[in-house]
Amino acid sequence: MKILLLCTDAYGGHGGIALFNRELVSALAELPEVEQIVVVPRIIVHEREPIPDHVQFVFAAARGRVSYLRALLRVLRETKFDLVICGHVNLLPLARLARQQPLLITHGIEAWKPLRDPLSNRLIHHVRGVVSVSALTRDRLLSWSHFAGETFVLPNAVRRERYGIRPKNQALVERYMLEGKRVLLTLGRIVAAERYKGFDEVLEVLPQLDRDVVYVVAGRGSDVDRLAQKARDLGVADRTIFTGFIEEREKADLYNLADVYVMPSRGEGFGFVFLEAMACGVPVIASCHDGGREALRGGELGTLVDPSNLAAIRVAIIDALAQKERQVPEGLSFFAFERFSERVHAIVRRVTS
Amino acid sequence: MCGISAVFAYHPDAPPVDRDEVEAITQRMYPRGPDAGGTWFSDDGRVGLGSRRLAIIDLTPDGIQPMTDVSGQLVIVFNGEIYNHHDLRKRLERNGARFRSHSDTEVLLEMYKHDGPAMVDLLRGMYAFTILDKRDGRLFVARDPYGIKPLYIADDGRTVRIASQVKALLAGGRISRASDPAGVAGFFVTGSVPEPFTTFAAIRAVEAGSCFFVDASGPTAASCHYSIAEIYQRARSQEAVGTLVDPATLLGEFVHESLAYHLVSDVPVGAFLSAGIDSTTLVALIAEARREPPRTVTLSFEEFRGREQDEAPLAARFAAEIGAQHTTRIVTREEFLADMPRFFDQMDQPTIDGTNTWFVSKATAEQKLKVAISGLGGDELFGSYPSFRELPRIVRLARVPFATRLLRNPKAKSIARYGRSLAGAYLVKRGLFMPEELSLVLGDEAAREGLERLNIIERIRGVLDVDPGTDFGRIAALESTLYMRNQLLRDTDWASMAHSLEVRTPLVDAFLLRQLAPLLVVGGSKSKDHFAGSARPPLPDYLRNRRKTGFSVPLKEWLNLPPDGTTTRMRSWARHVFERVGS
Repeated sequence: MKILLLCTDAYGGHGGIALFNRELVSALAELPEVEQIVVVPRIIVHEREPIPDHVQFVFAAARGRVSYLRALLRVLRETKFDLVICGHVNLLPLARLARQQPLLITHGIEAWKPLRDPLSNRLIHHVRGVVSVSALTRDRLLSWSHFAGETFVLPNAVRRERYGIRPKNQALVERYMLEGKRVLLTLGRIVAAERYKGFDEVLEVLPQLDRDVVYVVAGRGSDVDRLAQKARDLGVADRTIFTGFIEEREKADLYNLADVYVMPSRGEGFGFVFLEAMACGVPVIASCHDGGREALRGGELGTLVDPSNLAAIRVAIIDALAQKERQVPEGLSFFAFERFSERVHAIVRRVTS
Repeated sequence: MCGISAVFAYHPDAPPVDRDEVEAITQRMYPRGPDAGGTWFSDDGRVGLGSRRLAIIDLTPDGIQPMTDVSGQLVIVFNGEIYNHHDLRKRLERNGARFRSHSDTEVLLEMYKHDGPAMVDLLRGMYAFTILDKRDGRLFVARDPYGIKPLYIADDGRTVRIASQVKALLAGGRISRASDPAGVAGFFVTGSVPEPFTTFAAIRAVEAGSCFFVDASGPTAASCHYSIAEIYQRARSQEAVGTLVDPATLLGEFVHESLAYHLVSDVPVGAFLSAGIDSTTLVALIAEARREPPRTVTLSFEEFRGREQDEAPLAARFAAEIGAQHTTRIVTREEFLADMPRFFDQMDQPTIDGTNTWFVSKATAEQKLKVAISGLGGDELFGSYPSFRELPRIVRLARVPFATRLLRNPKAKSIARYGRSLAGAYLVKRGLFMPEELSLVLGDEAAREGLERLNIIERIRGVLDVDPGTDFGRIAALESTLYMRNQLLRDTDWASMAHSLEVRTPLVDAFLLRQLAPLLVVGGSKSKDHFAGSARPPLPDYLRNRRKTGFSVPLKEWLNLPPDGTTTRMRSWARHVFERVGS
């Protein structure tokens, strides 16, 4: 079987979608009947991770729109594919060039309301099936699109061996001056257009928590200055630490600094960061109104809060801080790569049968 | 759902609590809770608590009130429902609490122990309760954010008396019946008695969304735990949230959640059904969520037959389409006249509304239902009252010099006089009698004294002390805080409880408003369309395209009310009501 994956990013990409695509390719590569996987990425931003055997990663596609189109047409000329996977709704018009119904993957907010491009809205009705990282994203897509075809839920995978409970990294403790502090952590892009992550809410709750509780805001973006000003206005500037960009290799240590990972967001399609935090044994607090609910398996693996209810966030933080021992929840195995891979195989067999 | 009472002789000089008084107060609320009743008195004779119970959650005797906690240190009387009590119970259990019953009342006791007064921020529901904490001899008092459940207080400087109804407090026989001119004036100006006033000088409404203690020095200052205006103000900075999801989808999700909580019950839940968007959408959403529609009830009046006010045919058609077990209940003039003595006896404070709820509650109770869902609050939430369009227009018009002189509108003078501010425009729009007309009704002195203390414009303006920032938010805050609280919710409470029916209002929900506010601020009055579109399948066109009529009753025809300058003759009806309930 020959598979074509059109995606925004994968190897050399940053963030949840790139990671999802890499795991997807790894899972596809394990299928015995798969002889070739061609991945056409829109962007590559940093050094690439190792690429599995019999995966062709089309670097040339990531040089711009025209390069992407040219690379895609060349790939389509050279190979006849049995399955085309469209890794993002924005790529649907291009996936049409393959002259077969693609399997569409939806990750989150991009599928929560009608797309700006009317063509893509129509093309959704001509896909082989829709894979969503969460039931919430699937349901929201179905609600406005009325898509009547087959749908699948494929939650993100976490490789626990890359994380684990570790002693606090002293260098980081000193860098962020966390000695003797209890740490709340949120990791994410901090941009004005994504002012739904829950940074504001946690900051607003911070004055009501004990003085030894500090808030580590990890990530970079255009909204950092506003949040810093808000922290000053709330009188918690000395208890709020902005780390800036976090390198992938530092992430596990960062999570291990935290006593609670809290992200009462409204915009997570799934919320891979929750899996990472749980894999480090950190108690997590997520929103009951976005994909975080499913990352925490409906509250089985952590605490769900209504992000619009500051009192609920405060109480959840206090309760989580009171937890005596850190442990990786057993239920996290639901998101093990092996399970992810099984789900991918079942989907592929279903849509190609 | 219950009627509650508390008497606390807090001052050392106060005489001990009179048991007969507590019994009499509690007994006056019998229809609110015919399933059980009880009183509790402290050993030192300083505190008496009473309750009448309508059993909805945990029907066993374990749910009976007054309820004492395991330690014996806390005693509660509670009126209402805590819809998220399962969630709260789980959290408390994780923190070591143990429960003896399945009731939400016991959850309140344990929460008080665990969280203290901050507990109110976590409660999703309608409630009014008091908890006696024997450890420090204080009484904790709280009322829900919207004021769905009533609570009144009378403090004579030595003893505090609290109850779910004004008439119950009076039934105890220890409170002065002296009239409050401000409450009376408020009734004639707005059609209902605006909180915190009542028509009795000694009795005040406990502020909605507030809580306080009563200790040895009396009631402490109340602290507010919810402000509708603040919610809208905050939503302005959350536009990113309001545009993240398809509006109808998000509205559907949140209303579904609210409905799921409002359907928590150990007895069957029915629904009021009209031909309006709110009740039909709610019934459709219930049918979708439960895979079976609720039992529904609609009123029909001979006088409206063939006119657009007659909602019965469309409601029946819709009910048939979704397979609901539906009842169309015909109400006649004869029945209305026969019910009037009890109607006025149960009317707790004078109001020009409540007749519709009286009969639809009666009809629902006849179906052996104890709980009904109502679409009340949809117009305030989704901005579908004409006031959302008209108030800004009135303000603009009133600010143009001499423009009002060209108006043929009977309220032209009032628009010129009051309409330059949103608060004044609201008075013109909602007012029954304008302040300057009041002396014709009450006499010069009573009108002057009442209006002075009522200070109606400032009272309306006070709702917007925290500015919601948009006209939509401002008008929604005014309608929710004034008209809905003082009239719709209060009337729904007494008129339904008189028939031992609990009415639940999923669209009047503090949690729902917080969730939806960013979306409402962006969507404005289109929100009603989004709401109608949230049902699956969507509401049929014959409901969506129907002109809004309101839920009315043919009072004019039944009572042959004299002309009073209004088409509905509500001014005449107000006088009629006041003669029977005003003192």
